[in-house]
Formats: sequence, C-alpha cells, structure tokens
Amino acid sequence: MQFSFTQVLARILGESGFAAFLEDPRSLIMILISFVLLYMGIGKKFEPLLLVPIAFGILMANFPLTGILEEGGLFRYFYFGVEHAIYPSIIFLGIGAMTDFGPLIARPSSMLMGAAAQFGIFSAFLLALALGFAPAAAAAIAVIGGADGPTAILTASKLAPELLPPIAIAAYSYMALIPMIQPPLMRLLTTEKERKVKMEQLRTVSKAEKIVFPIAVATLVILLIPDTAPLIGMLMLGNLLRECGVTDRLSDTAQNALCNIVTIFLGLSVGCKAVADTFLTWDTIKIIVLGLLAFLLSTTGGILLGKLMCVLTHGKVNPLIGSAGVSAVPMAARVSQVEGQKADPGNFLLMHAMGPNVAGVIGSAVAAGFMIKVFGGIL
Amino acid sequence: MGITSLTPLEAVLVALSGLVIVFLMLGILCLMIPVVSRLTTAVAGRRTPATPAAPTPAPAPAPVPEKADPGAAYTGQVALIGCDEKTAAMVMAVVSYETGIPLDSLIFHRIRAL
Repeated sequence: MQFSFTQVLARILGESGFAAFLEDPRSLIMILISFVLLYMGIGKKFEPLLLVPIAFGILMANFPLTGILEEGGLFRYFYFGVEHAIYPSIIFLGIGAMTDFGPLIARPSSMLMGAAAQFGIFSAFLLALALGFAPAAAAAIAVIGGADGPTAILTASKLAPELLPPIAIAAYSYMALIPMIQPPLMRLLTTEKERKVKMEQLRTVSKAEKIVFPIAVATLVILLIPDTAPLIGMLMLGNLLRECGVTDRLSDTAQNALCNIVTIFLGLSVGCKAVADTFLTWDTIKIIVLGLLAFLLSTTGGILLGKLMCVLTHGKVNPLIGSAGVSAVPMAARVSQVEGQKADPGNFLLMHAMGPNVAGVIGSAVAAGFMIKVFGGIL
Repeated sequence: MGITSLTPLEAVLVALSGLVIVFLMLGILCLMIPVVSRLTTAVAGRRTPATPAAPTPAPAPAPVPEKADPGAAYTGQVALIGCDEKTAAMVMAVVSYETGIPLDSLIFHRIRAL
C-alpha cells in the first residue's frame, strides 16, 4: 500500500470536529455563546468565579466528537455531583462558613424581610405556568427569584434537569447585575425621607448566641421541612464551624479550598449540560425574562415589607434594607448601603442590611424545599 | 411522583401556601432567636448588655469635642477629631481587616487625624 500524504490529510480533516460542525452548525452558535459568557465573566467580571467555568463547560460540551458527555466521559462523572445535590450543598457549607449571622441575631425581625423577598419566587411561578411551563419546570425557574445560585441549581437539578443551564446562567447573571437591577426599583418604591432614615446601632451578639444559632435553626427548620436538610444542614454546619472557635482549620477549608474546588466542578457541570438541543430554544428566552421578573418582584416584596416595618416602628427601619432580603450575599446588602448613602452620606446601612440578606438565604432554601416537596423531587 | 398539572386556582393556592410557609418558618425563627438568646445568656450566667455596644460603621458616629473625658464610660460614640465620618469608617474597616478581629468585637473610642 502506498502512503499518500493528501489522503491522510483529507481523512484527518474528514474525521475532525471541524467537519462535524458542517453537520450540525448549532454547536457553533453554542460555542459563540460560550465566548460571550467568557467575555462577561473575564471582561466584565460578572460573577467570574462561576461564569468562567460555566462558559468553558459550554465550550467543551459543544465540541463535536469528544464523547465527553457520554457514558464514561469526564463530564458525565462531574455531573454526578449536581444530579445528587452534592455540589450545591457543599457550596452552602462554604457560604455558612463565610456568613456572620450576628446582624440577624441582633435584629430578628430582619427574618420577615428575608421572607417577603421570596415573593418573586411564588409570583414568577405563576407567570411561568401562564407561559406554558409544566408545574415542576415553573417551580425550578421561579427559584431564580431567590437570587441564590446553588439553591436554583439544586432545585433545577431535581425538578427540571433539562432546564438547568439556562436557569443557572440566568440566576448568576442577574446576581451579578443586582447593582444595576435593584437601585431604580428602590428609588421608585421609597421616598427621599424613607431613604434618609438612620437606624439604631445593633446590640452586641455574644459568642454563645452565635454558636447556638446554627444548631437551633438547623434543628427547627429541618424538622419542620425535611426537604431543606441538604441546604440548611450544610449552611448551618458551615456557620457552626466558623463560630464554635475550635474548628478554624475546617472553617478555613470550607470557606476557601473546598468551596473553590466545588465551584469549578459545579460550573463545568452546569455548562456541560448546555448543548444546542436543549439550550437553543424559546424556553431559554422565556427563562431569561422570567428570571428578571422574579428578581424585580423579590426586590419589590422586600422593600414593601421594609416600608411596612418603617411605619410600624415609627420610622426606625430604613425600607432600603428590605431589598437585601433577596439572598445574593453580600451584594444586595452593599446596594442598600450605597443607596442609603446617596440619600444621606452619613447613613450606614450595611450591617443592618446584612440581617435581611442572610435571612434571604434561609428563606430561599425554605422556598426551594417547599417547591421540591410539592413537585415531587426527591433529595 | 409530584404534581404534573395544575388548574389556575390550584396554582394560586400553591403559590400562596408556599409564601405562607416561608413566612411561617422565618416567623418562627424570628420568635425563636430572642428565646435562644435569653437562654444562652442565662446559661452563661450574665445578662445581655442593655446598651448598644460595638461601634460598627453602621450608624454615623457623632463627632464630639476633643476634650472628651477619656476615662468616661464607653457610650457607643466614637470621638472623631479632625476626620470625617467616611474616613473614620474606612479606618475602622482597615483596622478590623488587618487585625483579623470582626468589627463587632472592636471598640473605638477616638479617631484623630495626625
């Protein structure tokens, strides 16, 4: 047999991924989308820690002929952690280890603002149903309104795995855009006088209170809504590691190394599910729109309860802290601080807004647990 | 297996009951926290301080005259001498960060511009 360089070259090209693009050019569109997301993550710094791995996962998943998603493929194993709620729960462990619940313990009424800010979840659920989504899918989409990425991913993986990539991308993109999404609504719904309200100092929270808090919350919430166990349990374990004072190394690992490692796997796993067949559909557009509405409605719910509390306390609560009830820790609290200082440069709302902010994390986990319970996912 | 279809009325009921559950759950936590605080304080054998303490940057620290009595009991106010509130907040944040001590565990009596 005679060696022919041109024949070998033609064969290599014929069996390459480039040739496969000609068979299904939609993969090229997905690759372009991954480039856009990479630009948003790297160039615009929109939640880069998650958006960059997600975008790279999309890129990898849409290269033809790699077999990376098939049985025995690398991403197939990575996805196991999403499928079985491992990654979101470990991320919650890290969030718990990073969170100071002191402001919430000092002002327990902040809990109610965290609850009101889940309004977007339940109203977006109704809107998603109206747009023709099945109930379980509508529930998964609605959880975007909780502004909590891991919770949205966990709910989607249980209730609508086929919608996981657009839900995760919408959730993280809107979380990154909170400083742009929330302020106009905050100014619209509050008066100048309300925004200028200065709040009293928070009391000192003892170490014992901070240690007992995660144990008590985990016990109570999980006993009442067992479906929240993976999220609330890990969140509170992380917080206990932080506060108990004898597990500094574990707390440090949960906050940094472990959280970072799992973030890589989580991002890649979410990205690898974004293939043309399931991503390039009208449903994706609807999810993006619904996600935005859910965010706006959640913010509205938090601010309106803040206004109510302002009235009930005779002007001692600044309604701006209500918007921080959407989870997105600590970005939403920072937005409250910035808006408060715009109204009055001497107004420091950050610590006050952290209360509703961390309450929102618990609230969105409870809302997600409720949705999973009702629509049949099994954790 | 979960619910696969909903009438509009059922959908509204699901949404409302979900919101009620969230409020109920966080409401219970809201009531639980003071109880737990009292119990832990009682067990620790001391009362929760009635006066606000840790001067976090949250409230605006009111400037007080330089001749404030340094021996006076701490009242939660920070004396700002020759520096504005924004700078003071920044100084507090930097001290907290550099020392690794949370802001709510630090007490600032006076911040003076040099």
